[in-house]
Amino acid sequence: MSRALRDNSLGLVFGSLFLIVLVGQAFAGHADFNHQQLAAGMEPISLGRYLTSASFAADVAENWQSEYLQFFLYIFLTVWLVQKGSPESKKPGDEGRESDREQKVGRYATEDSPSWARAGGLRRTLLSNSLGLVMGLLFVASWLTQSIAGMAAFNEEQLRDLQEPVSWARYLTEPDFWNRTLQNWQSELLAVASMVILSIYLRQRGSPESKPVGSPHDSTGVEG
Amino acid sequence: MALRGKPRVVRLAMVLVPALLLAGCGSVQERASAAGDTATRFLEAVAGGDGEAACALLAPETEAEIDAPCAESILSEALPAPAPVTDSEVYGQRALVRLGGETVFLAVFPDGWRVVAAGCTPRGERPYDCEIEG
Repeated sequence: MSRALRDNSLGLVFGSLFLIVLVGQAFAGHADFNHQQLAAGMEPISLGRYLTSASFAADVAENWQSEYLQFFLYIFLTVWLVQKGSPESKKPGDEGRESDREQKVGRYATEDSPSWARAGGLRRTLLSNSLGLVMGLLFVASWLTQSIAGMAAFNEEQLRDLQEPVSWARYLTEPDFWNRTLQNWQSELLAVASMVILSIYLRQRGSPESKPVGSPHDSTGVEG
Repeated sequence: MALRGKPRVVRLAMVLVPALLLAGCGSVQERASAAGDTATRFLEAVAGGDGEAACALLAPETEAEIDAPCAESILSEALPAPAPVTDSEVYGQRALVRLGGETVFLAVFPDGWRVVAAGCTPRGERPYDCEIEG
């Protein structure tokens, strides 16, 4: 049991922290929503009602979509783009999808390779792109959810202000939608750019996200 | 074991997800219908001279904006005659109901929908201009 916990500690800790923080967001968001309700002369709503509200769904989805976009872009762009000196990057000259031998697919698959790596056609193509594709699909699903929930939350505010509600198509052109979207995108892109560039010169001993402490600044694609 | 369990989970999701979506739609339609009923009852009460019934359907902030006693003052407001509900939209705690050419804004309270603003006419991008509002 303790071995299993240790072997999966990274996923377990992040999964647990995610749930704890999501619960924290739910309580803080509920309190904030009710504060606005009281300010508008209305009654507070229950936690259950808040958790099924468009306001909560939009707040959650707008952050999720940007995280999945970040990983989707990072996974696909690091196939083709490099950053000299960064442990996050392949070495200059290694750009591209690499050979079947390097990727251990088809006849180069080993005994313990996933069976779809040995297979040809669609199955191999799917497995070869599954990480990026799933991140991309989760991004699209989260962004779509943000747009629908965001429209409902926006319209609730429109009605509070005695203004006309808008359709989903119209909401996609509203500053509210793009403000929610772009404020998350810019922070994710800043975080990736910071990681790529700072990891050239800075080290974190023992972390696979960093190169070994003694590695030269210009060594690329070396993880410690 | 986990692999054998998966199809059941997928099957369950295939039944549950549409059911929940339909339940959600049903809930929205019921809430829109209830908001429409409140707006209609409010305008009918005003048209029938029953100021007390009309004021009982007002949101507290809106009632506070009307000169006391509400039951008398509400009858002197230039509110429209009741008409069939042509549209009712609900978003969260708020609703908009159109009755013919008139628009009524409502908000939900523990005992049901209450009228926030009535006798409202649109002003383009600006908020509606309403005869009564909270």
